[in-house]
Amino acid sequence: MNRLSWWLILAQFRTRRAATLLSMLAIALGVALGYAIHLINDAALADFSRAMQTVQGNPDAVLAARDSAGSVPLASINEIARDPAVLLVAAVIESRVRLDSSPTPLRLIGIDVFSAAALMPRLLPRHDGRAGSAHILAGGVYASPALLEKFGLHPGSAVTLQRGDQDWHAIIAGDLPATGPDDLLLVADIAWVQEHFGPANAVSEGRIRLEPDTDPAAWRTALEQRLPSGLLLRMADDDGVRVSNLSRAYRVNLNVLALVALLTGAFLVFATQLSAVAQRSTQFALLGVLGLSPRMRLLQVLLEGLAIGVPGALLGLGLGYLLALAFTQILGGDLGGGYFTGSAPIIVPAPVPALGFLALGCAASLAGACYPAYLNRQQALAQALQTGFAQRPRGSDPTATSQPLLPALLAIGALALTQAPPWFDLPLGGYAAIGLVLLIGIASAPPLTRQVFGHLAGRALPAPQQIALQNVAQAPLLAQVAASGLIVSFALTASMVIMVSSFRVAVDRWLDDILPAPLYLRSRATPLPAEVLAALLQADTPFARVERMAQGSLTIDAQRPNVALLVREIERGNPEARLPFSGELVAAPPDMAVVWISEALHEIYRIVPGQILHLPLLGSEVEVFVGGVWRDYSRQFGALVISREDYEHLGGRFQPTDLALWPRAGQEAAAATWLVPYAGRHGLELSEAAEIRRLSLSIFDKSFAVTYALEAAAMLIGLFGLAVTLAASVWLRARELATLGALGFDRRMLSQAVMLEGALIACVGLLVGLACGVAIGAILTHVINPQSFHWRMPLSIPWSTLLAGAGLTLAAAILASHYAARQVTRLPLAQVLASAH
Amino acid sequence: MLTVTDLAKRHAGASRPLFEALEFAVAAGEVVALVGESGVGKSTLLNCIAGLETPDRGAVRIGPQALDMVRLDEAARAALRARRIGFVFQAFHVLPTLSVSQNLGVPLLLCGVPRGEHPQRIHSLLDRVGLADYAARWPTSLSGGELQRVAIARALVHQPALILADEPTGNLDPRTAGEVLSLLLDSVRERDTSALIVTHSQHVAQCCDRILTLTPAGLQ
Repeated sequence: MNRLSWWLILAQFRTRRAATLLSMLAIALGVALGYAIHLINDAALADFSRAMQTVQGNPDAVLAARDSAGSVPLASINEIARDPAVLLVAAVIESRVRLDSSPTPLRLIGIDVFSAAALMPRLLPRHDGRAGSAHILAGGVYASPALLEKFGLHPGSAVTLQRGDQDWHAIIAGDLPATGPDDLLLVADIAWVQEHFGPANAVSEGRIRLEPDTDPAAWRTALEQRLPSGLLLRMADDDGVRVSNLSRAYRVNLNVLALVALLTGAFLVFATQLSAVAQRSTQFALLGVLGLSPRMRLLQVLLEGLAIGVPGALLGLGLGYLLALAFTQILGGDLGGGYFTGSAPIIVPAPVPALGFLALGCAASLAGACYPAYLNRQQALAQALQTGFAQRPRGSDPTATSQPLLPALLAIGALALTQAPPWFDLPLGGYAAIGLVLLIGIASAPPLTRQVFGHLAGRALPAPQQIALQNVAQAPLLAQVAASGLIVSFALTASMVIMVSSFRVAVDRWLDDILPAPLYLRSRATPLPAEVLAALLQADTPFARVERMAQGSLTIDAQRPNVALLVREIERGNPEARLPFSGELVAAPPDMAVVWISEALHEIYRIVPGQILHLPLLGSEVEVFVGGVWRDYSRQFGALVISREDYEHLGGRFQPTDLALWPRAGQEAAAATWLVPYAGRHGLELSEAAEIRRLSLSIFDKSFAVTYALEAAAMLIGLFGLAVTLAASVWLRARELATLGALGFDRRMLSQAVMLEGALIACVGLLVGLACGVAIGAILTHVINPQSFHWRMPLSIPWSTLLAGAGLTLAAAILASHYAARQVTRLPLAQVLASAH
Repeated sequence: MLTVTDLAKRHAGASRPLFEALEFAVAAGEVVALVGESGVGKSTLLNCIAGLETPDRGAVRIGPQALDMVRLDEAARAALRARRIGFVFQAFHVLPTLSVSQNLGVPLLLCGVPRGEHPQRIHSLLDRVGLADYAARWPTSLSGGELQRVAIARALVHQPALILADEPTGNLDPRTAGEVLSLLLDSVRERDTSALIVTHSQHVAQCCDRILTLTPAGLQ
């Protein structure tokens, strides 16, 4: 960069402080959001993987049951151990237990210390002398330091471990020194765990180390052919992919939001640089006359854009890092999506991603400066020196934008893209369609403006209105830019409002459907104690009706998160009494078990009603009939419901984990009181339906809070862009307005003309923005949401909110115009008329 | 010196050329006034010489070599202006966001004068135009006469072979106009620079060494 460029950049910063600073901040915001999301997610994934490695170690493969209710027979473990390609198999039993009736179940891992030393070294216990002779082989239980601290325990403490009706009175024999600060784990000898909690003659998993010269892929292929259908072999790579798949769509959507913030930053740079080029057109023309080459005139504007982008992006990196730190301190590594609950990852910035985000911020800024730079390059010097900024490049056709063909073609393209299936499991077609809708809005605004206001300008109107209408009807470039900014920002805001509103209305209705009972009792992943179930069968309970449900999970694809299996006391012939179906039900053959799948399962695995499904259930592959698709907003990776009768008929053991309870009329309070002692004694969760509903909607609102903040930011940026471009437009016409003043317009009339112009431009932006917003809202609701999160919902447009937002924006636009008008009409007419541009 | 050969220009859509086969020369140290009625093409002629507009045909020689102005690309024209031409405008056109000394620094930067020479050249020119103490001032604080003095200093600071001035006193009162004109003419002559001054003022024209009158029929 030469000295002249530097002078001009400094002059630009000095004379346009507010606009430059806000452009920088907008770039910083986009970079900060993107970088923070990257840092948090990267740290959360690393933390999650570390935690997984702590428990699982570093095996080459894991043999497990596909069904959470199932297990791996010892015979299968022994057979694999005899495989010459296998160096070592470590059997593990993992169970969820309550520690002294704690409400949250903990992981109890039964290991064989000798094989664990080779495969799962972080689970190796350290004996403490205070525990006396209760070592691991004598039934001692070892707790992670985090667990000891949380429960106030120490080696030698006597604890009770509970699972359903089974209790184990044990002694804490020591700790697990290699576990992480957030790991809440208990470890005991596998034989002791098996004795107290089962399963008999089976284990939860076999963790396998292969001989060094074994080809894992070939070995897997060979083994899978003779593996029983209820078992699953997970290779080391599968877990990484599965963890990444867990939050991938959510992560991508957050990144798209960050990209939107970055794009609005690019728009601000565009508006700032365009108005800067317009206002300094005679200066640039003079520099051209003095010998600044066209290439340097182009480069100068790009450099000025970069001078906004570099500090903006650097600031964004700092802000992003701080944001990530604050976020992980307050909310952990969860990103608000619920995927990594409980983790508190450590943020470690790496240079390569930081440089990537720096480059992204600079690229956004450069992209915003491109067209202004091109216009600056194209200005005819002699003409610009005499008459100021030409709003169209030389040789461009002023009527080209009035062709309706371009918007029509873009609309067809957008419609086609919305019909495209997800690519790489992501709604890339939907995102592209949103981009096209915004382009349609921007491209259709000038012809619309010419048509509507050109027609109105032909009427006999008072002079200020006539002047305003005629100017807007010509759709000058700066007015187009102002309208475009508003179109984009209002469209994005309106679309998010529509999507969130549709989702909230749908969740509200869905909660009505899935919470038919007034009271719910849950045991969270452990079976409900028989004492509770037996007490509820007594005749004198305050309950008119009790429905039981067992929750488990199935692995359909080793690289995808597990699918929830819900065994419910549901009438096979009347499932719609309990499930909110989103399509037609298909009657199942009488001799075949029927399952009803959630929309997510239907979307992810392309399973359709009427299909015969081979489910990995109860240790074997079972044929079931898909009877219908129901709506489920709580399990993103899919769920299927089977009736208790069918499940038991298939050989399953029904072990309820959740209860829905209907108190007798007038005994609502007594019913809750009746349950409290049981809940306290067994660490069960007792909730009223109204409480669950309130909590669910509160979580919903919290998780969309960041969206509301981004909507507000987008609107502010749009308004600022409008204010900047309106001010530049009025400034450019200062002489014209002064001439009108000399011809007899008073200040009030000039202000009226300028304010009306601002209001008309804002109206165009808001109307086109609203239309685009509804279209994008529909794409978000019907394409992005189903393809990202597998949630479907009807479109619900909150017109009153949207119109109120449009009204407020219009008022703000009129205020901005008023300010611009005041600035220009304050100058003495004679001075303006005598001045060069 | 300036030599113009066979210069012709017709505006797009015009029924007849603005000027055709113009030929004239301005010797080193000579100041020539270009006069004529409004719309006859005086400013266009100046623009064609400076490469701000493209003539239909013709060559311009400023210094050692003749340049075909039709074929010359925009970058070469910019380089020609940066190295060989100084401009003085009726509307002053001093860059308002740069200080007085920075305004004078612009031509020096554009024609590649070594940085070490800048302070001396700028100071000497400002001293010559009577603005020695104005180096750090901003243009917004200067009067019209002072602005035009800055413009004259800027036009001369890189020692161009040719000064092109378009109504240099048009925006000034008679007394200031007289002072500015004397300054311009004296500065040009003492540096042996050629100058072509477009003017409507008989007084300005008579102060020049020679008068060229542009008419629809050509130069007289």
